[in-house]
Amino acid sequence: MPRSTPPSPAERQFEGLVTAISRKLAGFRWVFMPLGLVALIAVGVHAAADVVDDRILWLVDHADALFDSLVGRFQATASWVDLVGLEQRVKIARSVALVWELAADIILCWPALGYRERDARKPVIFETSLSGAGGFRQLLRRLKARPTTMRVFRPLAVGLVALAGGCAVARMVQGAVYLPTRGALGDGPAGLLGRACALAALAAVLYTLGWRATLRTLQDADVMSDDGHPSAAEALWRGLPGTLVVIPLAFAALAGATPLLSFFR
Amino acid sequence: MFRKHGRGLLDFLVAVLCLWVAAYHTPAGALARRLGAWALDVKSSVRPLLSYYEGGGDEFFIDKGPLQLPPQLAQLRGAVPDGSALGYGAYTAWLQLSGKERDPGRQLALRYGVDASRMEDPEKGPPELVKIIRAAKADLGTDDAAMLALMCGYEPARYARDRARAEGGSAELGVMLRQLPPEFESRAIHAATGLTLATAFSLAWPVPESTPITSGFGMRPHPILGERRMHTGVDLSVPTGTPVRAVAGGTVRRASQDAVNGRVLVIDHGRGVTTAYCHNSELLLAAGARVEKGMVIARSGSTGRSTGPHLHYQLSLADTPVDPLRFRPLRPGSSTAVELAHGGVDGRPGPPPPREAPPRVKRPAPEARR
Repeated sequence: MPRSTPPSPAERQFEGLVTAISRKLAGFRWVFMPLGLVALIAVGVHAAADVVDDRILWLVDHADALFDSLVGRFQATASWVDLVGLEQRVKIARSVALVWELAADIILCWPALGYRERDARKPVIFETSLSGAGGFRQLLRRLKARPTTMRVFRPLAVGLVALAGGCAVARMVQGAVYLPTRGALGDGPAGLLGRACALAALAAVLYTLGWRATLRTLQDADVMSDDGHPSAAEALWRGLPGTLVVIPLAFAALAGATPLLSFFR
Repeated sequence: MFRKHGRGLLDFLVAVLCLWVAAYHTPAGALARRLGAWALDVKSSVRPLLSYYEGGGDEFFIDKGPLQLPPQLAQLRGAVPDGSALGYGAYTAWLQLSGKERDPGRQLALRYGVDASRMEDPEKGPPELVKIIRAAKADLGTDDAAMLALMCGYEPARYARDRARAEGGSAELGVMLRQLPPEFESRAIHAATGLTLATAFSLAWPVPESTPITSGFGMRPHPILGERRMHTGVDLSVPTGTPVRAVAGGTVRRASQDAVNGRVLVIDHGRGVTTAYCHNSELLLAAGARVEKGMVIARSGSTGRSTGPHLHYQLSLADTPVDPLRFRPLRPGSSTAVELAHGGVDGRPGPPPPREAPPRVKRPAPEARR
């Protein structure tokens, strides 16, 4: 809504300062924006991995028990039971979780590293000429007309882990604001301030980085899906292994790492 | 106004915020910090990468390497009164904190009217910690929150507990730690250690306490293979069919059979404590079953790589096998208290413990592997 009264001199001075800082920072957007996107995705992926890691241990336990019972049947292979000790299974399970998480980081962060923009309000995602893939509306139109594995699942995965990442950031902000201010402000006001800052951080993360990460992934998936003009079947297979790596984590993020309501309780 | 003029500043601040969280709360961030420390040639305080994941029921990350147990552990274990394991675990972990890191614990002592100067006294310290931890537990509701209060302070623990509950989960240490800013990370590790030791201090014994021990924990010539190998548990000489009881409540993580361990049960007691029972003739539970302390879980035998009937009992803390005798329920002055005093420190073999009683089998009953 437009203002009915002109800004006061103090407001004008503050706006001038903020604008000056924003202009100075504009020269570095090419580095901090992709890094911010990568960091958000990494935080979200880890939040998702936190949800599934004990299930990985369960799987490793069962796989090792099955392996031991199989090799233990034969004299020649009985000593293979010694390959994995009771105490080593946890390390294996954790290593699997680590490798899974890092693999998902690479798959999901790679497009984010290619994020470019002409200015703060106009990412290349929206520009036809620079992306070579068409504007945002064309992307959506093609997604609807030709829903390939990459076009559907990669942006979905990034969207979900970005939401989980936003929640993890908000949680950190709440603790970092509440604990130091509690002594000075008292429990109630500090609690309110912490909660307000957490919600503001969540909103800011989704407003500035969340949608950019999702749309940048859609743009990359769109290019990959059509590269070399694959047949419909080929387009479905393309990117499937990577998608299989990230989709379980994305749904884990949705199921166990997006405690949105906790910021209101 | 902000939308029009400050968009660039907002983007920058949010990007920095995400980088801060990623640096301290993801393995990828830990890798980057480690690389940075290496490039700048400074000491890195980054947690091991694998410690970012759960090892069972609880998120749990004791620093790798042998646990730093105080020399008086043997006497300590023998003196733990019923219901005081949490306080004794807290005392043992609290001793590992450096001077300034102990301040939250001292403040907690003042909060409950306990003389903080007595906390470090080897004689008076443990009972004082028991009082403090009991009072904190009464206020905060859970063992985990009370231990966190001792290491990080009452208010951070209360806040973390409330946040964990707001997320709809239980106030377990791993969930609470996710709520706290990075500066609490190093002290929270000691809270995990305290809970682990408290659980270990409360363990029972799987067979009657008078059962002879035919092979102790540590390096030994393997009775079947001949070569020197680490024996990661103790062999208890029991006849085939003897009831084997769970030493604490938990969940059966594994119930299987193989050529080395025979019929084996592994129970996860949470908080990084796991026990294994090998060479049984019969398993009475399947994987995933809940067990209570003292429940009969198996019948002993001589299955797998074994030369006679015995139970191989193994205790692991933070994925590291430790000498179960150091956590055996004892009364001070009993014959095995002497044995404990001679035992090796966890993960490192000490002098061989004197035999409590002659073995019942002619050849020492071996354990399988592990």
